[in-house]
Amino acid sequence: MPSASPHPQVVDPANRTRLAWTRTAIAFAAIGGAMLKLSPVAGLVVLVLSLPIWAAAPRSRGTGVATSSPRRLLVVTGTVVIVALAALAVATFGHSPDSLGQLLRAR
Amino acid sequence: MTSAGDGHESGYDRHGDEASRAAAPDARPPERSVPDAGPAETEPDARFTMANERTFLAWSRTALALVAAGLGIVQLLPPFPGVPVGRHLLGIPLIILGAVIAVAAYLDMTRNQRALRRDQPLPRSVLPRLLAATIGGVATVAAIVVLLSATR
Repeated sequence: MPSASPHPQVVDPANRTRLAWTRTAIAFAAIGGAMLKLSPVAGLVVLVLSLPIWAAAPRSRGTGVATSSPRRLLVVTGTVVIVALAALAVATFGHSPDSLGQLLRAR
Repeated sequence: MTSAGDGHESGYDRHGDEASRAAAPDARPPERSVPDAGPAETEPDARFTMANERTFLAWSRTALALVAAGLGIVQLLPPFPGVPVGRHLLGIPLIILGAVIAVAAYLDMTRNQRALRRDQPLPRSVLPRLLAATIGGVATVAAIVVLLSATR
């Protein structure tokens, strides 16, 4: 919805929204960085997944104010679910001596 | 937690506070009809849409924090003596809750957006209750696990 000059009351919410997207992408990158230590592959995957999140942020073209399409928001949801599944796999079958997998196999 | 980090929202409330709409009197939606009709739908004010989007992003970050907390509990905490599955009892529900919250936040956001388009009151969200109940449950399990490991 580009327009010549957006209403000033819309500019602040648009900036806050863009910052919220940035915070979300940083949160993904931080989780990925932390996971790198536990499981390098899963950590790298999560770290890379922060890129589509950052790219999904709406960009205003010219001076217009952009809002996100539901599909872009679905990217965030899908990515969080993928991260959760990766975390579940690391938590269950991670290579710590007393992982749940080891405990279940021992019984 | 509804809009973490966005404490100074511009007059938009998730639960349909009419006063908040009155605070932005010129925030009436432009009369632009949405193609897939049903009840008369108009594109809501961009500020409401962006507030809805920020709320969704805040819930997504909460979901991500829960996943990180669960993973941290399982992988970084030392084992509880005498309760070998203690860390998994605490961590795995948090990771699952993270995934559930991510999906529920998306559904919530689309419901809210539909209500905004139809100029209806916003539907009540189940997310805060879900989050509170699960965190309460995990805290209770944590207390039990700590007590059990202390007595052994």
